[in-house]
Amino acid sequence: MSVTLALVVGGLTSVGVYLMTSRSLTRMLLGFALLGHAAVLALLAAGGEAGERPISGDAPVAELSDPLPQAFALTAIVISFGLTLFLLALARRQAQLTGDDLVEDDLEDRRIALETEAEGHDA
Amino acid sequence: MAHLVGVVAVLSLPNPRPAFAVALAAPLASAVWAASRLGGGETDTARLDWVEGLDLAVSFRVGPLGALLAVLVSGIGVLIFVYGHGYFGGGDRRGFAATLLAFSGSMLGLVWADDVWTLFLFWEATSVTSFLLVGTKSTDSAAVTAARRALLVTVAGGLVLLAGLLVLVDVAGTATLSEMGPVTGDQATVAAVLILVGAFTKSAQLPFHVWLPGAMAAPTPVSAYLHSATMVKAGIVLIGLMHPVLGAVDIWSGLGVTVGLLTMFWGAIGALRHADAKLVLAWGTVSQLGLMTAMMSLGSGKAIFAAVSLVVAHAVFKAALFMAVGEIDIRTGSRDLRSLSGLRTSMPVAFWVMVFAGLSMAGVPPLLGFPAKEAAIEASLKESGASGDLILAGVTIGSVLTVAYTTRLVLALFSDKGGEPTEVAPFRWAAAAPSVLLSALGVVGYVLAPSVTDWVVPAAATLETTSTGYALLRWPGLDSTAFWISMGIVAGGAIIGAAAARHSSPPEPVGANNVDRLVDRTLDLAKWTTGRVQHGSLPIYLVVMALVASLAVIPFLGSIDAGQLHAWDRPLQAGMGTAVVAAAIAVAAIRSRIGAALALGVVGLGVSALFLIQGAPDLALTQLLVETVIVVGFVIGLGGLTTQFPANGFVWRSVRIGTAVLAGTAVTVALLASAEDTPSNRESLTAAAVDEGGGNNLVNVILTDLRALDTLGEVVVLVVAAMGVLALSRADTARGGGAPLSDDVRKVRR
Repeated sequence: MSVTLALVVGGLTSVGVYLMTSRSLTRMLLGFALLGHAAVLALLAAGGEAGERPISGDAPVAELSDPLPQAFALTAIVISFGLTLFLLALARRQAQLTGDDLVEDDLEDRRIALETEAEGHDA
Repeated sequence: MAHLVGVVAVLSLPNPRPAFAVALAAPLASAVWAASRLGGGETDTARLDWVEGLDLAVSFRVGPLGALLAVLVSGIGVLIFVYGHGYFGGGDRRGFAATLLAFSGSMLGLVWADDVWTLFLFWEATSVTSFLLVGTKSTDSAAVTAARRALLVTVAGGLVLLAGLLVLVDVAGTATLSEMGPVTGDQATVAAVLILVGAFTKSAQLPFHVWLPGAMAAPTPVSAYLHSATMVKAGIVLIGLMHPVLGAVDIWSGLGVTVGLLTMFWGAIGALRHADAKLVLAWGTVSQLGLMTAMMSLGSGKAIFAAVSLVVAHAVFKAALFMAVGEIDIRTGSRDLRSLSGLRTSMPVAFWVMVFAGLSMAGVPPLLGFPAKEAAIEASLKESGASGDLILAGVTIGSVLTVAYTTRLVLALFSDKGGEPTEVAPFRWAAAAPSVLLSALGVVGYVLAPSVTDWVVPAAATLETTSTGYALLRWPGLDSTAFWISMGIVAGGAIIGAAAARHSSPPEPVGANNVDRLVDRTLDLAKWTTGRVQHGSLPIYLVVMALVASLAVIPFLGSIDAGQLHAWDRPLQAGMGTAVVAAAIAVAAIRSRIGAALALGVVGLGVSALFLIQGAPDLALTQLLVETVIVVGFVIGLGGLTTQFPANGFVWRSVRIGTAVLAGTAVTVALLASAEDTPSNRESLTAAAVDEGGGNNLVNVILTDLRALDTLGEVVVLVVAAMGVLALSRADTARGGGAPLSDDVRKVRR
């Protein structure tokens, strides 16, 4: 396996995770897109060494790159594309409603946490 | 199965009147069927494989023991339904009858199970139905507390049992009870302790007995059925079923006998102290269960025989006693030993029921309890050495106390306290008849002791083959040591009981209160933990998840094979890879939305180039198209937003960066560790694509032909996403239909 590819996948994952843990939906979206790239590249890397384009007759079969991971990767690209656009629409809607695209803390969860903190002070 | 139909039938009854009549059909059928098999040697099995690879099956096996227990469960069940009709008088009791029936079915499943998972399933089912039944009076806070306590203790025990069963299945190599051979060793010891603890919780052994007296908040039909005759026997039955497998483990009988005898003693003390007739019976049940646990885990042929006999005798007399007390309760409105007066003349039926069933409990001839108790004493006599003496002493003292609390109960309940006799409501045949029948069975059982022996011996022999030589003796003879011990027990107990009947003050329920406090503390702790852990911040959740997921890579660290690795496939790959990572870092570093979107576009372009280098032109083409649309979408969709991302604190940022680096490293390591050069079979793929798909572009043929269904699913996902995008962007572009921010949201926002 190409160490370069593995490192690129790791790098994309790092930046993706960093962005995903942001409070801004837009940045999460960017992070999601980067993670998508990482996943596709990982699939491709799993397919073994680089080769000729997988078209029968262009080159001897043994020299072709592996077509199966490519088919998977193509599916992955399209699905992450759909998800990215959907998230984009969500972020936009959030911005319309609240004026920014920040993800709020869950209201019920905060309430429970505040309650127990209050009880803790009583005791 | 019949029970399931019955539950549905009862629930769907249009008219509540005949609920109990319909409900008793199923147990009646199974009681008759099981009774027809008593004494016979045949064994029926039924097995329904669920997941074969996991050895998961629903499996039943009805042998002599299953038949005997089924007669008890279903036979007493029938009587309970009759009794319930009389106890409740009128009103809609469909839900209650259905739950009781569901319990009855679960109990049958439990005693018939031949697979540890089936057993566990029904074990839990009895816990849950018991919870529902104890909490029948859902408006009574005491009943609700008691139900919760019963549920938590028995379900906690269930979890321990599950752990024990898992260990057991591992060491025995099979989940089928009838295929398990004896096991020993450390693992078997662990399993033995866990399973015993599970059995102790269900059968109310020290220190888990606290739930049983509280469960008396249930209506009396429930107490009579679940908390004396059947469910609490589940633990005893479990110990019996496990005896052939775990009986050889050192700790098995020692632990079981010790806990059992202590429970017998402590339960009897409890029964002597309480003034509520039903609580006296409940504590008496705890005590009797102690004796049965001790006998069952003692494990000699005679002891097992005694335990099975006790189970039968106890079910019969204790159900009768509960029914009689329940009848007194509904007709006088009280169960207090100190205030009830003159019942001997006003309720003669209940009086005689109590006398006969009580004598059976005390172990006095001519009642079924006598030969059963004799068997227990003889089993103790057979044990040799100091431990044998201790066991005999324990059984003797416990039995003396048993006679004492029985005497006290009957004397105090029916004595004249002076003053006006208690007022008594009219007689109800349905509430009295079953108890009369059961107490009469005590006599009949004694007379027909040889027949009862014929039923009990094969049942006991399925657990311990050396149980075959014994019999329930009507008259052991004057030269029998056990007989003289018995008589001594009766005499001593009667004197203590008569003395105790005169004065009594109800004690504080110490153990139960402690359990309730423990439960409350646990709930507080759960709430506190929830407040801490589930704080509602999405980024923190994600950081925690990423960190934990990264740790999963640790086992793979050692398996990186340098021989499978090379620096790059083509030198160009290295350059392009660096560019992609640099652009990705730029995406994170750029603080304007449009800039970040453009940087993302650069990443996309770089990835397309990597695809090309790898030999995947289709992917590169698709990626280019997709990337273009996404960048355009960003600009259109979010162009109007504040251009800068909000900055955040140094510490939090460092945590995120640390997590991100760790996650990236983990993925790289995982990828490198999984490197192995086993490409897919290109020859056959190529042949299939060209010959069957009729195309030369392998990737395209795979997508549109060989994996066409996947592609169809993919298209559906896209369509759904497109509809979502459309709906979201059309939703009122101005301010939107959403509610304006509430004060709550503002308050919580930071």
